[in-house]
Amino acid sequence: MRLAKVTAVTTGVSAGRRGRRGAPPPFDAAFVARWLRGSAAEIAAHRDFLTQLDAAIGDADHGVNMDRGFAAVVSVVAAADGLSPGELLTQAGATLVLRVGGAAGPLYGSALREAGRSLGEASAFGLPELTSALEDALAGIVKLGAAEEGDKTIVDAWTPALRALRDARSAGAVAALHAARVAADEGAALTTPMEARKGRASYLGARSVGHQDPGAASTSLLFGALERAAAEVPPDR
Amino acid sequence: MGDRRDTIQSVDRAARILKALAAGSPRLGVSELGERLGLAKTTVHGLLRTLERQDLVEQDPETGKYRLGPELLQLGNAFLDHHELRGRSLVWADTLAERVGEAVRVGVLYGRRVLVVHHVFRPDDSVQILEVGASVPWHASALGKVHAAYLSADRRRTLVSGPLQRLTGRTIVEPHALALALEEVAAAGFATEAHEAVIGEGEVAAAVFDHRGHPVGAIGVVGPVERVLPAGPSAELVVALTDTAKRLSWEMGARRGRPGTVLHPGPRAGVGG
Repeated sequence: MRLAKVTAVTTGVSAGRRGRRGAPPPFDAAFVARWLRGSAAEIAAHRDFLTQLDAAIGDADHGVNMDRGFAAVVSVVAAADGLSPGELLTQAGATLVLRVGGAAGPLYGSALREAGRSLGEASAFGLPELTSALEDALAGIVKLGAAEEGDKTIVDAWTPALRALRDARSAGAVAALHAARVAADEGAALTTPMEARKGRASYLGARSVGHQDPGAASTSLLFGALERAAAEVPPDR
Repeated sequence: MGDRRDTIQSVDRAARILKALAAGSPRLGVSELGERLGLAKTTVHGLLRTLERQDLVEQDPETGKYRLGPELLQLGNAFLDHHELRGRSLVWADTLAERVGEAVRVGVLYGRRVLVVHHVFRPDDSVQILEVGASVPWHASALGKVHAAYLSADRRRTLVSGPLQRLTGRTIVEPHALALALEEVAAAGFATEAHEAVIGEGEVAAAVFDHRGHPVGAIGVVGPVERVLPAGPSAELVVALTDTAKRLSWEMGARRGRPGTVLHPGPRAGVGG
């Protein structure tokens, strides 16, 4: 318990009440809504950072585009009363495709739509279902982008995050999502020395070396929001 | 590489050194270069000293490693300055970008890649990166597809059956599908590309012809897919583009009338004009 308390302090949330084995499926539409709102807040807070990363190797619109898209997702979440978690993700994905330009719109959009499709109409789900949904999301990204690990893309944050999530699945949802977030952060950081092999940055060849991939950076923000959404217990429940 | 009988080995090696320095690692030592190119250290050293004297490579005083030299920029600029299609396209590309409100690129098929020889930014305040000098696999580019569509059947077959790299999940990498796509392009008079080179990006391009009716390159409108190709290209965009390509072809010496028809009479009337 001492350890759990330390974790709770460092992440600034009251962890531990949800997601234990034997408990009912801990995730629901409110969890997905917290994740999406949290992602929007993270992206808004890091908008300029993402844009600066993109200015180095892209066309400096990643932060602005993602912020605009996730702001639209927040309105979808606010208006989405009674939707299942899967339907909510599907709608959020469609919104991103429509509202985010560049590569990020189609990639994140299809990721969330695939995740939504994977969850289907269930009103609650557990860590195994969440893991499969995130795996389907990554498969959607790979199908569209045909990128592999090491190409200096969004995939370099998603793939290690999902590996960590699978490896830590027996530790409980909060711990597993924490491990996923840490791995996403590390994966994003590791894109810095890489030379881009996909996307517009690949036109620039060696010029892309020394800059973190903006898509990998925004992915680690999304996994950060996911961890917090799982750890948070809303006051009204 | 083909026939090497009438080439000079040391020039070939020097060129390979420059290309090795241009690809990937910006600085390489004598032994690293020797290993990569399968050459003895003394040979590489002699070549590097010769290239250095011409300012084509320079040595980092701290590490002793070699990198590309400043003279290469002069050579690259000279290539662009002397490029006829680029020179003639400058004004046309500006006008087209202004007319359609999107970025314009002019490209030429060299080997299996399209070299971007001119790029006009989208006329707004956004940050954009100059893509002159970028080279895109031909089959993932509207510029490349439209240039290829008017080549001889032999050359098209070679291109289509060659290695087709997958840049995104939307890149056409199946030879038969690509051959069909080229036929459609030749019939329509323009090529499109959506998400095939870069996710989120699309391009519409038309070929430019010379006095023999041979394609010499292509001009294209490039931008976010949702703006350039929301549901196929808009008729206005296609008209503006094909009109520009036609005038540019006249400047390149093409005869009036529909260029390209001599080589490949389309089975149908052109789309959008």
